[in-house]
Amino acid sequence: MKFCQAIRVKSDEPDRLVDLLVEWDLGQAGDDVMGYIGTRLLADRDHPGSYMILAEFAEVDGDRTAAEEAELNNQRERTEQWVRALRELVDGEPEWVHYDEYYRTGITGDRRTG
Amino acid sequence: MTGEVTADEAITIARGIATAIAPGSGLDAVQRSLLGEVSAALLGHMVDHGTVESLSPEEMASLLASRSPMFRHRIVHLMVLGELILRPIPPEVARRVAHYADALGVDDKFVRVARRYAQGAFGLAWVDLHRSGFAAHWESARRDQLKTDVRLADQLSPGVVDPVLETRWSAFESMPVGTLGRSLWEMYRGRGFAIPGSVGGASAYLAQHDFVHVLADYGTNLNGELEVFALIGFADPDPKGFAWLTTLVGLFETGYVADAGFFTGDLRERRLDSPAMHVRLADALARGAAIREAVGVDLLDVDFHDFATCSVDEARVALSFPPKSDRAVASGSSGAFELDGMSAIQQAYAASLAGDGRPRHESSS
Repeated sequence: MKFCQAIRVKSDEPDRLVDLLVEWDLGQAGDDVMGYIGTRLLADRDHPGSYMILAEFAEVDGDRTAAEEAELNNQRERTEQWVRALRELVDGEPEWVHYDEYYRTGITGDRRTG
Repeated sequence: MTGEVTADEAITIARGIATAIAPGSGLDAVQRSLLGEVSAALLGHMVDHGTVESLSPEEMASLLASRSPMFRHRIVHLMVLGELILRPIPPEVARRVAHYADALGVDDKFVRVARRYAQGAFGLAWVDLHRSGFAAHWESARRDQLKTDVRLADQLSPGVVDPVLETRWSAFESMPVGTLGRSLWEMYRGRGFAIPGSVGGASAYLAQHDFVHVLADYGTNLNGELEVFALIGFADPDPKGFAWLTTLVGLFETGYVADAGFFTGDLRERRLDSPAMHVRLADALARGAAIREAVGVDLLDVDFHDFATCSVDEARVALSFPPKSDRAVASGSSGAFELDGMSAIQQAYAASLAGDGRPRHESSS
Protein backbone atom coordinates (compact mmCIF):
# COMPACT_ATOMS: atom_id res chain seq x y z
CA MET A 1 0.00 0.00 0.00
CA LYS A 2 1.36 3.38 -1.00
CA PHE A 3 1.29 6.38 1.25
CA CYS A 4 0.67 10.05 0.55
CA GLN A 5 1.81 12.99 2.59
CA ALA A 6 -0.35 16.01 1.83
CA ILE A 7 0.98 19.45 2.73
CA ARG A 8 -1.47 22.34 2.46
CA VAL A 9 0.23 25.73 2.27
CA LYS A 10 -0.55 29.34 1.50
CA SER A 11 1.96 31.16 -0.64
CA ASP A 12 2.23 33.96 -3.14
CA GLU A 13 5.30 32.39 -4.71
CA PRO A 14 4.06 29.30 -6.60
CA ASP A 15 6.94 29.42 -9.06
CA ARG A 16 9.41 29.15 -6.22
CA LEU A 17 7.42 26.27 -4.80
CA VAL A 18 7.80 24.53 -8.15
CA ASP A 19 11.52 25.26 -8.17
CA LEU A 20 11.81 23.80 -4.69
CA LEU A 21 10.08 20.61 -5.75
CA VAL A 22 12.11 20.30 -8.95
CA GLU A 23 15.31 20.69 -6.97
CA TRP A 24 14.12 18.00 -4.57
CA ASP A 25 13.26 15.61 -7.41
CA LEU A 26 16.60 16.09 -9.13
CA GLY A 27 18.35 15.26 -5.88
CA GLN A 28 16.19 12.20 -5.32
CA ALA A 29 16.63 10.87 -8.86
CA GLY A 30 20.39 10.77 -8.50
CA ASP A 31 20.25 9.02 -5.16
CA ASP A 32 19.62 5.44 -4.12
CA VAL A 33 16.08 4.15 -4.42
CA MET A 34 14.13 5.25 -1.38
CA GLY A 35 10.50 5.43 -0.36
CA TYR A 36 9.78 8.73 -2.08
CA ILE A 37 8.32 8.16 -5.56
CA GLY A 38 7.13 11.57 -6.69
CA THR A 39 5.13 14.65 -5.97
CA ARG A 40 2.43 16.93 -7.30
CA LEU A 41 1.72 20.56 -6.58
CA LEU A 42 -1.94 21.53 -6.92
CA ALA A 43 -3.40 25.03 -6.85
CA ASP A 44 -6.78 25.49 -5.18
CA ARG A 45 -9.01 27.20 -7.75
CA ASP A 46 -11.53 28.28 -5.12
CA HIS A 47 -8.94 29.70 -2.75
CA PRO A 48 -6.27 31.59 -4.69
CA GLY A 49 -2.92 31.38 -2.95
CA SER A 50 -3.69 27.97 -1.44
CA TYR A 51 -1.70 25.00 -2.62
CA MET A 52 -1.51 21.30 -1.89
CA ILE A 53 1.73 19.37 -2.17
CA LEU A 54 1.15 15.63 -2.50
CA ALA A 55 4.31 13.67 -1.81
CA GLU A 56 3.97 9.96 -2.50
CA PHE A 57 5.83 7.02 -1.02
CA ALA A 58 6.10 3.30 -1.73
CA GLU A 59 7.83 0.33 -0.17
CA VAL A 60 11.47 -0.20 -1.09
CA ASP A 61 12.70 -3.55 0.14
CA GLY A 62 9.54 -5.01 1.55
CA ASP A 63 10.71 -4.72 5.14
CA ARG A 64 9.06 -1.34 5.81
CA THR A 65 5.66 0.00 4.86
CA ALA A 66 5.33 3.02 2.64
CA ALA A 67 4.26 5.05 5.67
CA GLU A 68 7.37 3.91 7.53
CA GLU A 69 9.48 4.89 4.52
CA ALA A 70 7.90 8.33 4.66
CA GLU A 71 8.71 8.62 8.35
CA LEU A 72 12.28 7.59 7.61
CA ASN A 73 12.37 10.26 4.94
CA ASN A 74 11.12 12.84 7.44
CA GLN A 75 14.15 12.15 9.60
CA ARG A 76 16.69 12.76 6.87
CA GLU A 77 18.77 15.92 7.06
CA ARG A 78 17.99 16.69 3.43
CA THR A 79 14.27 16.60 4.20
CA GLU A 80 14.68 18.88 7.18
CA GLN A 81 16.54 21.34 4.96
CA TRP A 82 13.73 21.12 2.42
CA VAL A 83 11.10 21.84 5.07
CA ARG A 84 13.07 24.86 6.24
CA ALA A 85 13.18 26.13 2.64
CA LEU A 86 9.45 25.48 2.30
CA ARG A 87 8.65 27.48 5.41
CA GLU A 88 10.45 30.47 3.89
CA LEU A 89 8.05 30.39 0.93
CA VAL A 90 4.75 30.00 2.72
CA ASP A 91 2.52 32.10 4.92
CA GLY A 92 1.69 30.60 8.27
CA GLU A 93 2.12 27.03 9.29
CA PRO A 94 1.86 24.22 6.68
CA GLU A 95 -0.92 21.76 7.35
CA TRP A 96 0.21 18.14 7.14
CA VAL A 97 -2.21 15.28 6.45
CA HIS A 98 -1.23 11.64 5.98
CA TYR A 99 -3.07 9.17 3.79
CA ASP A 100 -2.78 5.46 3.05
CA GLU A 101 -3.59 4.82 -0.58
CA TYR A 102 -6.58 2.54 -1.11
CA TYR A 103 -6.79 2.79 -4.86
CA ARG A 104 -4.83 4.12 -7.83
CA THR A 105 -5.75 3.96 -11.50
CA GLY A 106 -3.27 2.01 -13.58
CA ILE A 107 -0.81 -0.78 -13.26
CA THR A 108 0.96 0.01 -10.02
CA GLY A 109 -1.87 0.00 -7.55
CA ASP A 110 -2.81 -3.04 -5.51
CA ARG A 111 -5.70 -3.65 -7.91
CA ARG A 112 -4.67 -3.34 -11.55
CA THR A 113 -6.75 -1.28 -13.89
CA GLY A 114 -4.27 -0.97 -16.74
CA MET B 1 28.92 -10.15 -26.85
CA THR B 2 31.84 -12.43 -27.66
CA GLY B 3 32.29 -15.60 -29.62
CA GLU B 4 34.13 -17.22 -26.76
CA VAL B 5 31.16 -18.12 -24.60
CA THR B 6 30.88 -21.87 -24.15
CA ALA B 7 27.56 -23.68 -24.10
CA ASP B 8 28.01 -24.35 -20.38
CA GLU B 9 28.66 -20.68 -19.70
CA ALA B 10 25.65 -19.64 -21.74
CA ILE B 11 23.53 -21.98 -19.62
CA THR B 12 25.03 -20.51 -16.44
CA ILE B 13 24.14 -17.02 -17.65
CA ALA B 14 20.64 -18.11 -18.61
CA ARG B 15 20.13 -19.73 -15.21
CA GLY B 16 21.14 -16.58 -13.40
CA ILE B 17 19.09 -14.28 -15.62
CA ALA B 18 16.01 -16.49 -15.49
CA THR B 19 16.18 -16.79 -11.72
CA ALA B 20 16.62 -13.05 -11.33
CA ILE B 21 13.80 -11.89 -13.57
CA ALA B 22 11.12 -14.53 -13.12
CA PRO B 23 7.87 -13.20 -11.66
CA GLY B 24 6.12 -15.37 -9.09
CA SER B 25 4.32 -17.25 -11.83
CA GLY B 26 7.59 -18.02 -13.62
CA LEU B 27 9.09 -16.52 -16.76
CA ASP B 28 6.42 -15.28 -19.12
CA ALA B 29 6.38 -16.30 -22.76
CA VAL B 30 7.83 -13.01 -24.00
CA GLN B 31 10.73 -13.10 -21.56
CA ARG B 32 11.44 -16.69 -22.48
CA SER B 33 11.36 -16.12 -26.22
CA LEU B 34 13.27 -12.83 -26.21
CA LEU B 35 16.03 -14.04 -23.93
CA GLY B 36 16.42 -17.26 -25.89
CA GLU B 37 16.96 -15.26 -29.05
CA VAL B 38 19.29 -12.82 -27.30
CA SER B 39 21.35 -15.71 -25.97
CA ALA B 40 21.56 -17.23 -29.45
CA ALA B 41 22.54 -13.97 -31.13
CA LEU B 42 24.89 -12.54 -28.51
CA LEU B 43 26.36 -15.60 -26.84
CA GLY B 44 26.12 -18.03 -29.72
CA HIS B 45 23.95 -20.56 -27.92
CA MET B 46 20.17 -20.85 -27.91
CA VAL B 47 19.08 -21.59 -24.35
CA ASP B 48 15.50 -22.07 -23.23
CA HIS B 49 15.39 -19.82 -20.19
CA GLY B 50 12.13 -21.41 -19.13
CA THR B 51 13.61 -24.81 -18.41
CA VAL B 52 16.97 -24.04 -16.80
CA GLU B 53 17.65 -24.67 -13.11
CA SER B 54 17.77 -21.76 -10.71
CA LEU B 55 21.09 -20.17 -9.79
CA SER B 56 21.74 -17.92 -6.82
CA PRO B 57 23.45 -14.53 -7.16
CA GLU B 58 26.51 -15.85 -5.33
CA GLU B 59 26.76 -18.95 -7.51
CA MET B 60 26.41 -16.85 -10.63
CA ALA B 61 29.09 -14.44 -9.45
CA SER B 62 31.41 -17.33 -8.67
CA LEU B 63 30.90 -18.95 -12.07
CA LEU B 64 31.51 -15.65 -13.87
CA ALA B 65 34.38 -14.54 -11.64
CA SER B 66 36.94 -14.92 -14.40
CA ARG B 67 34.96 -12.69 -16.71
CA SER B 68 35.77 -8.99 -17.04
CA PRO B 69 33.71 -6.40 -15.18
CA MET B 70 32.40 -5.15 -18.52
CA PHE B 71 31.25 -8.62 -19.53
CA ARG B 72 29.37 -8.97 -16.26
CA HIS B 73 27.94 -5.50 -16.75
CA ARG B 74 26.54 -6.52 -20.13
CA ILE B 75 25.01 -9.61 -18.55
CA VAL B 76 23.30 -7.39 -16.00
CA HIS B 77 21.90 -5.35 -18.90
CA LEU B 78 20.37 -8.51 -20.35
CA MET B 79 18.79 -9.11 -16.96
CA VAL B 80 17.44 -5.58 -16.91
CA LEU B 81 16.10 -5.99 -20.44
CA GLY B 82 14.32 -9.13 -19.27
CA GLU B 83 12.61 -7.26 -16.43
CA LEU B 84 11.94 -4.02 -18.32
CA ILE B 85 9.51 -5.79 -20.62
CA LEU B 86 7.33 -6.81 -17.67
CA ARG B 87 4.29 -4.65 -17.07
CA PRO B 88 4.18 -4.04 -14.20
CA ILE B 89 7.58 -5.02 -12.88
CA PRO B 90 6.98 -6.89 -9.62
CA PRO B 91 8.99 -5.14 -6.88
CA GLU B 92 10.50 -8.46 -5.81
CA VAL B 93 11.87 -8.96 -9.34
CA ALA B 94 13.46 -5.50 -9.35
CA ARG B 95 15.00 -6.17 -5.93
CA ARG B 96 16.26 -9.56 -7.04
CA VAL B 97 17.94 -8.11 -10.11
CA ALA B 98 19.61 -5.55 -7.87
CA HIS B 99 20.93 -8.38 -5.69
CA TYR B 100 22.37 -10.17 -8.72
CA ALA B 101 23.99 -6.96 -9.93
CA ASP B 102 25.53 -6.44 -6.50
CA ALA B 103 26.82 -10.00 -6.39
CA LEU B 104 28.33 -9.56 -9.86
CA GLY B 105 30.02 -6.37 -8.70
CA VAL B 106 28.07 -4.22 -11.12
CA ASP B 107 26.84 -0.75 -10.20
CA ASP B 108 24.33 0.05 -12.89
CA LYS B 109 21.97 2.99 -13.13
CA PHE B 110 19.42 1.06 -15.18
CA VAL B 111 18.97 -1.44 -12.36
CA ARG B 112 17.93 1.56 -10.31
CA VAL B 113 15.61 2.84 -13.03
CA ALA B 114 13.86 -0.55 -13.12
CA ARG B 115 13.47 -0.45 -9.35
CA ARG B 116 11.80 2.92 -9.67
CA TYR B 117 9.44 1.53 -12.30
CA ALA B 118 8.56 -1.28 -9.92
CA GLN B 119 7.75 1.28 -7.23
CA GLY B 120 5.50 3.17 -9.61
CA ALA B 121 7.89 6.11 -9.57
CA PHE B 122 7.71 6.69 -13.31
CA GLY B 123 8.40 10.39 -13.23
CA LEU B 124 11.39 10.00 -10.96
CA ALA B 125 12.60 7.08 -13.10
CA TRP B 126 12.52 9.27 -16.20
CA VAL B 127 14.47 12.02 -14.45
CA ASP B 128 16.98 9.36 -13.39
CA LEU B 129 17.16 7.76 -16.85
CA HIS B 130 17.47 11.12 -18.57
CA ARG B 131 20.25 12.29 -16.29
CA SER B 132 22.15 9.02 -15.84
CA GLY B 133 21.82 7.81 -19.40
CA PHE B 134 22.05 11.03 -21.32
CA ALA B 135 22.60 14.42 -19.69
CA ALA B 136 25.38 13.31 -17.34
CA HIS B 137 27.53 12.46 -20.37
CA TRP B 138 26.77 15.52 -22.42
CA GLU B 139 29.40 17.90 -21.08
CA SER B 140 32.21 15.55 -22.05
CA ALA B 141 30.62 14.35 -25.28
CA ARG B 142 32.14 15.00 -28.67
CA ARG B 143 30.15 17.59 -30.62
CA ASP B 144 32.21 18.59 -33.64
CA GLN B 145 30.64 15.75 -35.64
CA LEU B 146 27.31 17.56 -35.44
CA LYS B 147 28.43 20.38 -37.73
CA THR B 148 26.62 23.04 -35.78
CA ASP B 149 27.57 25.78 -33.40
CA VAL B 150 24.14 25.71 -31.81
CA ARG B 151 24.54 24.32 -28.35
CA LEU B 152 21.96 21.77 -27.28
CA ALA B 153 21.04 21.41 -23.61
CA ASP B 154 21.51 17.65 -23.85
CA GLN B 155 21.21 14.70 -26.20
CA LEU B 156 17.41 14.68 -26.24
CA SER B 157 16.92 18.37 -26.87
CA PRO B 158 14.64 19.25 -29.78
CA GLY B 159 16.02 20.55 -33.04
CA VAL B 160 16.49 24.25 -33.59
CA VAL B 161 16.54 26.30 -36.74
CA ASP B 162 20.13 26.52 -37.90
CA PRO B 163 20.67 27.63 -41.54
CA VAL B 164 24.30 26.46 -41.54
CA LEU B 165 23.27 22.96 -40.52
CA GLU B 166 20.41 22.92 -42.99
CA THR B 167 22.74 23.90 -45.82
CA ARG B 168 25.16 21.17 -44.83
CA TRP B 169 22.47 18.50 -44.87
CA SER B 170 20.80 19.83 -48.01
CA ALA B 171 24.11 19.36 -49.83
CA PHE B 172 23.58 15.60 -49.58
CA GLU B 173 21.07 15.94 -52.42
CA SER B 174 23.81 16.76 -54.91
CA MET B 175 25.96 13.79 -54.00
CA PRO B 176 26.07 10.78 -56.36
CA VAL B 177 23.34 8.19 -56.04
CA GLY B 178 24.45 5.34 -53.80
CA THR B 179 26.56 7.49 -51.50
CA LEU B 180 25.76 7.61 -47.82
CA GLY B 181 24.91 11.29 -47.99
CA ARG B 182 22.61 10.98 -50.99
CA SER B 183 20.95 7.87 -49.54
CA LEU B 184 20.22 9.69 -46.33
CA TRP B 185 18.76 12.60 -48.26
CA GLU B 186 16.56 10.16 -50.21
CA MET B 187 15.37 8.61 -46.97
CA TYR B 188 14.40 12.03 -45.65
CA ARG B 189 12.80 13.10 -48.90
CA GLY B 190 10.90 9.83 -49.28
CA ARG B 191 9.29 10.21 -45.89
CA GLY B 192 8.81 13.94 -45.78
CA PHE B 193 11.25 14.36 -42.90
CA ALA B 194 12.38 17.91 -42.29
CA ILE B 195 16.12 18.42 -42.75
CA PRO B 196 18.06 19.09 -39.51
CA GLY B 197 18.44 22.80 -39.07
CA SER B 198 15.13 23.53 -40.80
CA VAL B 199 11.79 24.09 -39.08
CA GLY B 200 10.60 20.80 -37.61
CA GLY B 201 13.89 19.01 -38.21
CA ALA B 202 15.52 16.73 -35.67
CA SER B 203 18.41 18.06 -33.65
CA ALA B 204 21.86 17.57 -35.13
CA TYR B 205 22.57 15.01 -32.42
CA LEU B 206 19.45 12.89 -32.83
CA ALA B 207 19.74 13.10 -36.61
CA GLN B 208 22.95 11.11 -36.22
CA HIS B 209 20.83 8.02 -35.72
CA ASP B 210 19.41 8.43 -39.21
CA PHE B 211 22.81 7.64 -40.68
CA VAL B 212 22.53 4.38 -38.75
CA HIS B 213 19.15 3.67 -40.33
CA VAL B 214 20.86 3.73 -43.71
CA LEU B 215 24.01 1.90 -42.69
CA ALA B 216 22.24 -0.80 -40.72
CA ASP B 217 19.38 -0.89 -43.23
CA TYR B 218 16.61 -0.57 -40.71
CA GLY B 219 13.19 0.89 -41.35
CA THR B 220 11.83 4.05 -39.79
CA ASN B 221 8.65 2.63 -38.32
CA LEU B 222 8.61 1.87 -34.61
CA ASN B 223 9.98 -1.64 -35.05
CA GLY B 224 12.81 -0.19 -37.10
CA GLU B 225 13.49 2.42 -34.43
CA LEU B 226 13.71 -0.32 -31.81
CA GLU B 227 16.25 -2.12 -33.99
CA VAL B 228 18.28 1.03 -34.65
CA PHE B 229 18.52 2.05 -31.02
CA ALA B 230 19.21 -1.49 -29.85
CA LEU B 231 22.14 -1.55 -32.25
CA ILE B 232 23.34 1.93 -31.26
CA GLY B 233 23.01 1.13 -27.57
CA PHE B 234 24.96 -2.09 -27.74
CA ALA B 235 27.59 -0.60 -30.04
CA ASP B 236 28.44 1.97 -27.39
CA PRO B 237 31.50 0.85 -25.41
CA ASP B 238 30.11 2.79 -22.45
CA PRO B 239 27.26 1.01 -20.65
CA LYS B 240 25.34 4.28 -20.80
CA GLY B 241 24.29 3.21 -24.29
CA PHE B 242 21.72 0.95 -22.68
CA ALA B 243 19.73 4.12 -22.01
CA TRP B 244 18.53 4.08 -25.61
CA LEU B 245 16.99 0.64 -25.38
CA THR B 246 15.55 1.42 -21.95
CA THR B 247 13.93 4.52 -23.39
CA LEU B 248 12.58 2.90 -26.54
CA VAL B 249 11.13 -0.09 -24.67
CA GLY B 250 9.51 2.36 -22.25
CA LEU B 251 8.05 4.38 -25.11
CA PHE B 252 6.83 1.65 -27.41
CA GLU B 253 6.36 -1.45 -25.29
CA THR B 254 5.51 -0.77 -21.67
CA GLY B 255 4.55 2.88 -21.43
CA TYR B 256 7.02 3.53 -18.62
CA VAL B 257 8.29 6.50 -20.66
CA ALA B 258 5.55 8.84 -21.85
CA ASP B 259 7.59 11.20 -23.95
CA ALA B 260 11.29 11.41 -24.59
CA GLY B 261 11.24 14.60 -26.59
CA PHE B 262 12.27 13.01 -29.87
CA PHE B 263 9.60 10.32 -29.67
CA THR B 264 6.23 10.19 -27.99
CA GLY B 265 5.03 6.98 -26.44
CA ASP B 266 2.95 4.72 -28.66
CA LEU B 267 1.37 1.61 -27.17
CA ARG B 268 -1.21 0.87 -29.82
CA GLU B 269 0.65 -2.33 -30.54
CA ARG B 270 2.87 -4.31 -28.17
CA ARG B 271 6.03 -4.41 -30.24
CA LEU B 272 7.68 -7.24 -28.35
CA ASP B 273 4.72 -9.58 -28.24
CA SER B 274 5.88 -11.00 -31.54
CA PRO B 275 8.56 -13.72 -31.56
CA ALA B 276 9.72 -12.31 -34.89
CA MET B 277 10.62 -9.05 -33.15
CA HIS B 278 12.64 -11.02 -30.61
CA VAL B 279 14.78 -12.38 -33.44
CA ARG B 280 15.12 -8.90 -34.94
CA LEU B 281 15.94 -7.19 -31.66
CA ALA B 282 18.46 -9.87 -30.72
CA ASP B 283 20.14 -9.51 -34.10
CA ALA B 284 20.33 -5.75 -33.68
CA LEU B 285 21.98 -6.21 -30.29
CA ALA B 286 24.46 -8.67 -31.77
CA ARG B 287 25.28 -6.36 -34.66
CA GLY B 288 25.82 -3.54 -32.19
CA ALA B 289 28.09 -5.72 -30.08
CA ALA B 290 30.10 -6.66 -33.18
CA ILE B 291 30.54 -2.98 -34.10
CA ARG B 292 31.58 -2.21 -30.52
CA GLU B 293 34.27 -4.85 -30.60
CA ALA B 294 35.53 -3.73 -34.00
CA VAL B 295 35.28 0.06 -33.73
CA GLY B 296 34.81 0.80 -30.04
CA VAL B 297 33.13 4.19 -30.31
CA ASP B 298 29.66 5.48 -29.63
CA LEU B 299 28.07 5.58 -33.11
CA LEU B 300 26.42 8.90 -32.28
CA ASP B 301 29.89 10.35 -31.81
CA VAL B 302 30.98 9.30 -35.30
CA ASP B 303 31.48 12.05 -37.86
CA PHE B 304 29.28 10.50 -40.52
CA HIS B 305 29.83 13.54 -42.71
CA ASP B 306 33.33 12.17 -43.30
CA PHE B 307 31.71 9.17 -44.95
CA ALA B 308 28.99 11.05 -46.81
CA THR B 309 30.67 10.75 -50.19
CA CYS B 310 31.49 7.05 -49.72
CA SER B 311 29.15 4.47 -51.09
CA VAL B 312 26.90 3.01 -48.44
CA ASP B 313 28.72 -0.30 -48.75
CA GLU B 314 32.11 1.38 -48.32
CA ALA B 315 30.88 3.17 -45.23
CA ARG B 316 29.53 -0.08 -43.82
CA VAL B 317 32.91 -1.71 -44.26
CA ALA B 318 34.76 1.27 -42.78
CA LEU B 319 32.54 1.27 -39.71
CA SER B 320 32.39 -2.54 -39.46
CA PHE B 321 28.63 -2.84 -39.85
CA PRO B 322 27.93 -6.56 -40.18
CA PRO B 323 24.99 -7.67 -42.32
CA LYS B 324 21.68 -8.64 -40.78
CA SER B 325 21.31 -12.29 -39.98
CA ASP B 326 19.25 -14.36 -42.37
CA ARG B 327 16.85 -15.09 -39.51
CA ALA B 328 16.33 -11.39 -38.84
CA VAL B 329 15.53 -10.78 -42.51
CA ALA B 330 13.25 -13.83 -42.58
CA SER B 331 11.57 -12.44 -39.47
CA GLY B 332 10.60 -9.28 -41.29
CA SER B 333 13.46 -6.89 -40.57
CA SER B 334 12.74 -4.33 -43.25
CA GLY B 335 15.30 -2.17 -44.97
CA ALA B 336 15.54 1.59 -44.78
CA PHE B 337 14.07 1.95 -48.27
CA GLU B 338 11.38 -0.68 -48.12
CA LEU B 339 7.74 0.23 -47.81
CA ASP B 340 7.35 -2.27 -44.97
CA GLY B 341 9.94 -0.32 -43.03
CA MET B 342 7.76 2.79 -42.98
CA SER B 343 4.98 3.80 -40.65
CA ALA B 344 1.50 4.20 -42.10
CA ILE B 345 1.97 7.96 -42.24
CA GLN B 346 5.32 7.59 -43.98
CA GLN B 347 3.83 5.13 -46.46
CA ALA B 348 1.04 7.55 -47.26
CA TYR B 349 3.57 10.32 -47.82
CA ALA B 350 5.68 8.08 -50.05
CA ALA B 351 2.60 7.16 -52.08
CA SER B 352 1.86 10.85 -52.61
CA LEU B 353 5.20 11.52 -54.26
CA ALA B 354 5.56 11.97 -57.99
CA GLY B 355 7.53 9.54 -60.14
CA ASP B 356 10.78 11.43 -59.60
CA GLY B 357 10.48 11.06 -55.84
CA ARG B 358 9.61 14.71 -55.29
CA PRO B 359 6.45 16.12 -53.79
CA ARG B 360 4.00 16.60 -56.65
CA HIS B 361 3.99 20.39 -56.28
CA GLU B 362 7.78 20.42 -56.83
CA SER B 363 7.90 17.78 -59.51
CA SER B 364 8.53 18.53 -63.18
CA SER B 365 6.83 15.27 -64.22
